[in-house]
Amino acid sequence: MPQFDLAVFVPQLVWLTVFFAILYFGVVALTLPKLGRVMETREATVTGDIAAAETAKADADRMAEEYDAGIEAARHSARDTVGAAKGKATAALEAKLAQGNSANDARLAAAEADLAGARSRALSEIEGVAADVAADIVERLTGARPDATAATAAARGALAA
Amino acid sequence: MAGPMEQFAIRVLHPIEAGGYDLSFTNSSMWMAIALASIAIFLFVGTARPQLVPGRWQAAVEYTYDFVRKMLDENVGPEGRRYAPLIFSIFMFVLACNLLGLLPWVGAFTPTSHIAVTLGLAVLVFAIVCIVGFWKHGLHFFTLFWPKGTNPALGAFVFVIEFLSFLSRPFTLAIRLFANMTAGHVLLKVFGTFVVTLGSFGALPYVFGILPLAVNVALSALEVLIAVVQAYVFALLASLYLNDAINLH
Repeated sequence: MPQFDLAVFVPQLVWLTVFFAILYFGVVALTLPKLGRVMETREATVTGDIAAAETAKADADRMAEEYDAGIEAARHSARDTVGAAKGKATAALEAKLAQGNSANDARLAAAEADLAGARSRALSEIEGVAADVAADIVERLTGARPDATAATAAARGALAA
Repeated sequence: MAGPMEQFAIRVLHPIEAGGYDLSFTNSSMWMAIALASIAIFLFVGTARPQLVPGRWQAAVEYTYDFVRKMLDENVGPEGRRYAPLIFSIFMFVLACNLLGLLPWVGAFTPTSHIAVTLGLAVLVFAIVCIVGFWKHGLHFFTLFWPKGTNPALGAFVFVIEFLSFLSRPFTLAIRLFANMTAGHVLLKVFGTFVVTLGSFGALPYVFGILPLAVNVALSALEVLIAVVQAYVFALLASLYLNDAINLH
């Protein structure tokens, strides 16, 4: 076998040393670190992007939560506003009703007072008429006209009976 | 017809002699140079303008580099990464020599089928393992061979065996690769010879050559696989030996 010929060892070992040294120091040492840096940058970029995406997602989630909370708060405040407006309107209506009622009551009382006055006036007039009529009847019967005061008293007594 | 061993013959292409030593540029040297040039093209083109989103060449280089880095991560741990360029160089060099040696028609020579080359690489690995081991642990490195928790007599016995097995590492590493490459090429050559001999059977030409040809086609595929696997095994064992030196078990 040519492989076991010791004469071929030295030149092969020398050229192996030369070429492997060129490979290690002249090729691999010049290229791999560049590649290693790019691979590290890529790894950093990818992890950074993933982290950024996660933060963005957290932000979005938080914003959605805030939005929901805002909607809920707005709904509450709208409900409160509507409730307050309704309460105010009811109070105003009740106040107006009370005012109207009291005015009506006052007018009713005045009308009743007027009515009572008119009644008493009418009653007193009836007394006068009755006294006159009674006095006329007495004059016609007796020929003598009774005293107006006595006739009035008699008429009042008869009416009161 | 050439014998099956003739393909391993060293032919001097350019005789050089220095200080009484024969440093001739041979076919082996030439194919090592071709391997080096192929790796250089692969790496320089692949990393000419490295980008975050790699192109085809860059992706290919990154794939091989990542393969070596993962192997070191798994077998050595976090400290292994600093040896990635070395293991990568060894892996790529063995792989290129193995694969280029399989090229047909161009008179390809496989430098890794020569024990001088594989032994050179194995001794490089062994030397680095020893340097790293003594540099990191000093004389404590010898505890690598001492079994923990046994009685001293048995321990000494195991120590001797472990030490001898440690010393034999460069030879087993070298012979494994050399033998695989040599055996594969011999097999291809033998079946190639069968194709010619049986195919030139006078009464019925070509017919009997078909079977050994089919075998050779299958063997060629197998040899490509072996070329890759042996480069991987060489790099894997180198990283396992490095692990011993760095982590002492």
